Amino acid sequence: MTDKVSVALMQGSSCWGCFQSLIDIHLRLAEVLPMLDIKFWAAVADFKHEHLEGYPDKSIDVGLYEGAARTEEDIHHLKLMREKCKTLISFGSCSCFGGIPGLANFSDIEECYDVKFRSNKTVKDGKVPTENVPPIAPVIKPNNQYVDFDVYLPGCPPTSDLIFKALTTLIKGDELVLDPHTVCHYCNRDKQETPIPEILRPFDGNADPDRCLLEQGYICMGSATWGLCEGQCVNKGATCRGCFGPPPPIMQDQGANGIGMLGSYAPLEPEVIQDAVRDPLGLFWRFSYATSHLGSMRIRREEAKNQ
Amino acid sequence: MTMAKTQTDSEHEWTPRIVAYCCNWCSYAGADLAGTSRIQYPPNARIVRVNCTGRISPEFILAALDMGADGVLVSGCHPGDCHYTSGNLKLRARWAIMEKAIEQAGIDTRRIRLQWASASEGQVFADGVAKLVEQVKELGPIQEEWK
Ligand code: SF4
Ligand code: SF4
Ligand code: SF4
Ligand code: FES
Repeated sequence: MTDKVSVALMQGSSCWGCFQSLIDIHLRLAEVLPMLDIKFWAAVADFKHEHLEGYPDKSIDVGLYEGAARTEEDIHHLKLMREKCKTLISFGSCSCFGGIPGLANFSDIEECYDVKFRSNKTVKDGKVPTENVPPIAPVIKPNNQYVDFDVYLPGCPPTSDLIFKALTTLIKGDELVLDPHTVCHYCNRDKQETPIPEILRPFDGNADPDRCLLEQGYICMGSATWGLCEGQCVNKGATCRGCFGPPPPIMQDQGANGIGMLGSYAPLEPEVIQDAVRDPLGLFWRFSYATSHLGSMRIRREEAKNQ
Repeated sequence: MTMAKTQTDSEHEWTPRIVAYCCNWCSYAGADLAGTSRIQYPPNARIVRVNCTGRISPEFILAALDMGADGVLVSGCHPGDCHYTSGNLKLRARWAIMEKAIEQAGIDTRRIRLQWASASEGQVFADGVAKLVEQVKELGPIQEEWK
């Protein structure tokens, strides 16, 4: 291959963990970088937003958008990336499902302002800033309500191996095929389908290293989660928290499916199970609240308030 | 997500739309009995038959609400009577967690109801529908919550 592939990498509201994971492909960067013509990547190359705005539409081969769209500036950049890029990748679980920033929708915007600015314990007479900062959107809508993506590459963050595979495939111009299996498929633990006598918190007791964690009573999201990570947590000893979001078809309700599986394993009395699962919304929808049914109802309610 | 057209838009007076998931062996037969016995109950429930309540994922309930159902009823065999031994106990456990999540998300849990009604309990089934319809009427259309 002679021609370089032009790329643009944009960050919305996020933690930079996904781009860090890209950089963590380490020495393999030597293989990938020479094939790239970076057109925009704020943290790495000295292009300004005006440069990106000035490129002809669809002139960039591959774009990666990391993060949720919390500010009006994020929303503008997301749409801009869609205009300029031929293939747009939704990069990481924030971008695919709202992810951790999407949890802000548990509260309305005024409550968020209170915690962050007005009653912030570390400042006196805090005010919501209005100068030199982009306005904040009243509610976090998932990115796919603003633009269409060509590829979803979830994970919080996506693993370096997955990123390497995706980039090298797309750079070659090949179609990216991702296996649809859940985390359980890659989990080496033995499953025997025993009902759970009680639900355990992660710090309770010592887990048997060879048996399914869910069967031992630890809440594991593996069965409701896309296994693109190849089960890295469950094969080391920790439960799956669901960070890769739901498996294809991509926008299923991950939390609902996780609860479905837990109920199958733990047909306990309602009071017992309610007492054991303290924060179901935060536990089962930690990475996909914005794209879930409950999350979409909440978004509509917040939008209605602000009309 | 396709949205059901809201009835409040039209000139007709609003009546709650209820999706009712009934297990084949007890509650669907119970609903049938309520009909053949000419027991009066509100006509708001659209019944969806499932083989066992154990087949019901919380997604069924949440998707119905998201698409504009004003209330959701699940009706199955009494605990101990499930034709697949424990399907209803599995659903009951899912329900307990889901109910808590619905509350956390700010939706009134009086929009959902779980009940047990055997094949001979036509009246119990009908009373359950009436109860849910009454609760939902007090709350108003679900779409008012985001209008
Ligand atoms: S998906 Fe996770 S790692 Fe990536 S930006 Fe969001 S919070 Fe950070
Ligand atoms: S539920 Fe968790 S521990 Fe059990 S098989 Fe699936 S991934 Fe492994
Ligand atoms: S096992 Fe679960 S929590 Fe761990 S990386 Fe994979 S999807 Fe994320
Ligand atoms: S068959 Fe009726 S609930 Fe299982």
